[in-house]
Amino acid sequence: MSIVQLRNIWKIFGPTPQHVLKNISPQASRAEIQAETGHVVAVRDVSLDIAEGEIFVVMGLSGSGKSTLIRCLSRLIEPTGGDVIINGQNVTEMNETDLRDLRRNTVSMVFQRFGLFPHRRVIDNVAYGLEVRGVDAAERYAHCAEILKLVDLQDWGNHYPHELSGGMQQRVGLARALAVDPQIMLCDEPFSALDPLIRRDMQNELLHLQKTLKKTMIFITHDFLEALKLGDRIAIMKDGVVVQVGTPQQIVANPADAYVREFIQDVPRSRVLTAETIMGPANAATATDQSIPAHTTLEELIPLVAPTDAALPVVNGNGEVVGAVDRAAVLQALAAA
Amino acid sequence: MTSLKSRSYWLLSLGLVVLLFVVAQQLPQLQLFPEDWNLGWREPINDFKRWVVINRTTHWLFLLIFEPLSAVLDFVIRFVEDVLLWLPWPIIVLGFFLSANKISGLRLALLVTACLVLMGLFGLWKESMQTLALMSISVIVSLLIGVPLGIWAAQNDRVDAILRPILDAMQTVPIFVYLIPVLLFFGVARVPSAIATIVYALPPAIRLTNLGIRGVSADLLEAADAFGSTARQRMRKVQIPVAMPSILTGVNQTIMMALSIVVLAALIGSGGLGDVVLKSLRRLRVGSALEAGLAIVVMAILLDRFSAALGQRSIQFSQPQFQGFRLFPASWQANGFAQRIEGAIDALYVRSGNLNAWIKSRLPERFRSDWASMLLVCAVVAIPLLLLGIDNFPRDWNIGISKPVDNLVEWMRVNLYNIGDSGIGTGPFRDFLIVQIFLPLTNFLTNVVPWTVIVLIATVLAFRTGNWKLTIGVVLMLVFVGLLGMWGFAMDTLGQTLIAVVLCILLGIPLGIWASRNDTVDQLLRPVLDLLQTIPIFVYLVPVIMLFGTGSVAGLIASLVYSIAPVVRLTNLGIRKVDETVKESATAFGSTGWQRLIKVEVPLALPEIMLGINQTTMMVLAMVIIAGLVGATGLGLEVIQGFANDNLGRSVEAGLAMVMLAMVIDRIAQAWADKAAEAANLKA
Ligand SMILES: Nc1ncnc2c1ncn2[C@@H]1O[C@H](COP(=O)(O)OP(=O)(O)O)[C@@H](O)[C@H]1O
Ligand SMILES: [Mg+2]
Repeated sequence: MSIVQLRNIWKIFGPTPQHVLKNISPQASRAEIQAETGHVVAVRDVSLDIAEGEIFVVMGLSGSGKSTLIRCLSRLIEPTGGDVIINGQNVTEMNETDLRDLRRNTVSMVFQRFGLFPHRRVIDNVAYGLEVRGVDAAERYAHCAEILKLVDLQDWGNHYPHELSGGMQQRVGLARALAVDPQIMLCDEPFSALDPLIRRDMQNELLHLQKTLKKTMIFITHDFLEALKLGDRIAIMKDGVVVQVGTPQQIVANPADAYVREFIQDVPRSRVLTAETIMGPANAATATDQSIPAHTTLEELIPLVAPTDAALPVVNGNGEVVGAVDRAAVLQALAAA
Repeated sequence: MTSLKSRSYWLLSLGLVVLLFVVAQQLPQLQLFPEDWNLGWREPINDFKRWVVINRTTHWLFLLIFEPLSAVLDFVIRFVEDVLLWLPWPIIVLGFFLSANKISGLRLALLVTACLVLMGLFGLWKESMQTLALMSISVIVSLLIGVPLGIWAAQNDRVDAILRPILDAMQTVPIFVYLIPVLLFFGVARVPSAIATIVYALPPAIRLTNLGIRGVSADLLEAADAFGSTARQRMRKVQIPVAMPSILTGVNQTIMMALSIVVLAALIGSGGLGDVVLKSLRRLRVGSALEAGLAIVVMAILLDRFSAALGQRSIQFSQPQFQGFRLFPASWQANGFAQRIEGAIDALYVRSGNLNAWIKSRLPERFRSDWASMLLVCAVVAIPLLLLGIDNFPRDWNIGISKPVDNLVEWMRVNLYNIGDSGIGTGPFRDFLIVQIFLPLTNFLTNVVPWTVIVLIATVLAFRTGNWKLTIGVVLMLVFVGLLGMWGFAMDTLGQTLIAVVLCILLGIPLGIWASRNDTVDQLLRPVLDLLQTIPIFVYLVPVIMLFGTGSVAGLIASLVYSIAPVVRLTNLGIRKVDETVKESATAFGSTGWQRLIKVEVPLALPEIMLGINQTTMMVLAMVIIAGLVGATGLGLEVIQGFANDNLGRSVEAGLAMVMLAMVIDRIAQAWADKAAEAANLKA
């Protein structure tokens, strides 16, 4: 059962979006619609299912509608059409109070430019969500001190945000989102404003946290490598439309169109693709003395298939044979760019 | 309109002006504003005033609204005043010292102390406390009204749209005009002065609160929303705190506005320092007027620095750490004596910090704060002083400067006014200005130039900016001046304004350019200009009268000094802002310094310069009316004489004409400044 379902979400910016939505022709491109009506179709008929506990990455060039889409989820931006269903409840139909409760308890957010409150100490920034929820001071400080430990900022609670480095500030942003113990976290390019080295640390830290926290995260990025590293699944957006959804391996192995192929060009395929993505049918397996785990990357696979002409069996976590790979399959996968 | 080539537009306009000029010679209607067009508002207004006077004690409007309001305000002001006068003066000084120290540090604390002691030494302690009471209450009420209104306007675009033009108009309206309705409904006393002050000081509080809250970045609002804040929580926990520096700037400006009309408020019975200035001026006792004027300046400095420090503190977001106090310049470091004094101050400071910590630790948990401990210290010190019967600053500590100043004035009157009967001196200089410049110009504007030509010129200037509404507004406002029967006086005022503005430009722009070239000049000029803007308008009049006697020339010179700051400041700023690479490329093409200035820097700085001229003009206008108090002719004098002769209608007419004139000039100048800014943006 997916925790978040988006059903035909549209967002059109302009003076009369409903009118434009009604008369839109399916073939017209975003540029044509803008030229004709003066409206921007930021999100176009997007339907997605996001499973509990996964990191779902939304990837696309700047302007492709990622930020708009993610904001439709908790209605920070009101969708023009479609339904958002979270935990089986239709968010689009919620009244103001229910919506506020959703934002206070279920969905929290991390921002690209951090969005920290400059007049509040770090601890009060982290405690903001609990404070508006009405949790009393002693309890929220105790809880937030724990959260600060989690992001390694236990000594910085009494400082003001401007006294922290960029990476530390975003850790505060992360802590603030975690402090309300949300089911779902929305992250809008949280690491894009950081230096590459810091960014890598933060990605690792996020993965580390996720191992124990198991939140459902919807993570936006325009950096495909980041998407590969973090995403359990990736949706690729272009001009407001989701052009492909899949696991990193699926996308690298079978890019849906030229736009997606552009992204994967610089991807080290041998490190992303696994035995599972390139394997042939199980009955083709000829070797019996050796088997390969399904998530073995091509890089690891090469020394195994190089010395033999046989097709090696691929086994899943339960030891069942699910497919087979041989040298030819590996070489083909490496070549197809 | 903009399609017309610039040159042909001006040629055509010139042709029209000349044509109208010639035609008007034949048609008296076009020459002098026809007297029988007068709206005749004067008598009805005076009748209304008589009605108000008669019905003040009986009509429900007064009994139910004005009187209770009056009574409450009066009670509060009187109460604060009584408390300030009852408290021993050392306690007031101590209280200010401790809070200044808490807010900003020892430096501010010492400054504040010096200011207060100076007021006492001038023998003006009582008057100062009266003024302080009236000011504080007025400012507090202004803020109580202004800040919520600002918050409302920030949340509601319609409220904003309604308030904005009103606030704009309020800033264009000369101070005097506020006094008229207040006088009408509340008579002469403390309360009407307070109300005039409240209304006058209101705009910056509203404007800066609104601005600050609207300026809170969308990112922060989104973050607040994303965590499920209610609109109220968002306002209280995010918008207001983030806007606090701006709001406190508004508080600071509100205080300064309030102080700038202390003397005028005395015209309707505020008492206090303003009253001393006014009475001394009337009796031509320059010495005591100067003393009281200085006391006002000192109070302005005190409150300005105090509230500015509050604003500073709100953006620091961290407690200042004590790092030792520097009383003397760094170059004295080697001097053993200086070191010892500074060391002693440091030690004393640390001791008292420890004492404070000790007191705090004894306080019950709920009240444990620096402020509570300060209050306690004050109270403890107060008891013996009260028992000793100490209240006001001792009279005999007076080191007043009125005697020497009066002597100086006398000396100047004898020696500078007309040096050795040679025809050289301030007296002949004044006569020369009046006979050779003022009178001819006024005569020219009033009698030679037909009123229709003036209207036409204004129209041409307004129309060139391509703004239809502005053009129509300008024509209507000017005609209205005529209809009020104030055309002649308005032209007199216009003439003086023009002279003052031209002088400001001639002196100010070169000064600004110089300051932009030379950092030393800039640094010397900056505090002087700051001071000029901090000093209440009135105080300028005092020394000028010393030299030139009363009349239009005194008014002119006072306006000059008062109004020159913006031109200098903004010219300097504008030129300094010109992009380095642009300057470099001008130099690379072999421009001389002068060519670079004229061809590149000044044109690029034009928007700022225009803005400066605009601000200066408005300040001149504000001053011209006050100059009426020292006998400068024109609308200002009309207003004053209306007051003096119990002819409110006359004051209202002149006041309205003043507003119209100010608006016409302001709006045209503003439109031109906008255009210049636009052009500069296009070029950039
Ligand atoms: N408030 C708005 N009004 C009009 N257009 C907008 C607004 N917000 C976003 N857009 C447009 O919608 C498109 C998608 O924007 P966005 O969701 O921010 O893209 P991304 O986050 O992928 O860079 C862009 O073309 C942007 O210009
Ligand atoms: Mg974005």
